Amino acid sequence: MIPIENFLILSSLLFAMGLYGVLARRSAILILMSIELMLAAVSINFIAFATYLDGEAFSGLVFALFVITVAAAEVGLALGIVLRLFRERRTAYVDAADSLKW
Amino acid sequence: MIDRLPLPAQFDRLIIVGGVAVGLVMTPILFVLLALLIGDQITAAELVFWLAFTVIVAGASGTVLLNNIVHAALSLIATLLGVAAVYLLLATEFIALVQILVYGGGVVILLIFGLMMTNAQDDPVVTDGSQKPFAAIVGVLLAGVFLAAVIDAEWGSETMTVVPFRDFGARLFRDFIVPVIIVGVLLDIALSGAIVNARASRIEDVDADETTSEASS
Repeated sequence: MIPIENFLILSSLLFAMGLYGVLARRSAILILMSIELMLAAVSINFIAFATYLDGEAFSGLVFALFVITVAAAEVGLALGIVLRLFRERRTAYVDAADSLKW
Repeated sequence: MIDRLPLPAQFDRLIIVGGVAVGLVMTPILFVLLALLIGDQITAAELVFWLAFTVIVAGASGTVLLNNIVHAALSLIATLLGVAAVYLLLATEFIALVQILVYGGGVVILLIFGLMMTNAQDDPVVTDGSQKPFAAIVGVLLAGVFLAAVIDAEWGSETMTVVPFRDFGARLFRDFIVPVIIVGVLLDIALSGAIVNARASRIEDVDADETTSEASS
């Protein structure tokens, strides 16, 4: 049996890489991809804890399912916003969205 | 050398070079793991886990490091399929299937359509105060904290509990029906918002065009 630490180490690395991508990228779509990586890391943690440590093994699975659903909704909405940004500013870089900055 | 190979012009040479590099790296790893498996050092499940680990880490590095945005999207697909393999190892085959369907089939395709509609270029060369060193420091620090916490902790008795397919659906719609409805409403609102956001500016464009044409005439 694989020890639970292996899954947690994997998800830690994945989350840190996703955070690096969110902070380092400028294109809004690449930032969305990095957010997907972070959400996948969180889902791995939920499922690992549910399978190994929860006697019932259920709540974690439901949460992982909801994370996947919310990620799909988030990508749809965020792409709508990116398209809008592109129409307004002719670019998809988040640096261009600076109307609230003064 | 690669430029002189007799390949059709539409073959992306970076993909060929990248595939060869991935093969050269993965083959020794596969052989080492197979040797360990034959020598009874690791079980078959651990072999699959370490293969998935390699694919996930390599794909995630490609997603956050590659400059070509389409190659980054392709590495993202590899990463998410590796995550589905990890879900299978955790005996949750339903969520693995949902992961492949929703991410591999839906989200990544949506992202690639997004790329195509926004002529997103490769990451630009930033001259003023690039945030990459800062981002690398934050990422390494966070990974260090997480790894220290995970390795230090005591995880108690580890027993794998497997939820059968049928029980999963029955319990999901019996005990978690309110969250399911809330998530449904959330999806409805989010997708309506996406449609409104993607459409509304077209009307404004028409209005703007009319104003400019009136002003010019």
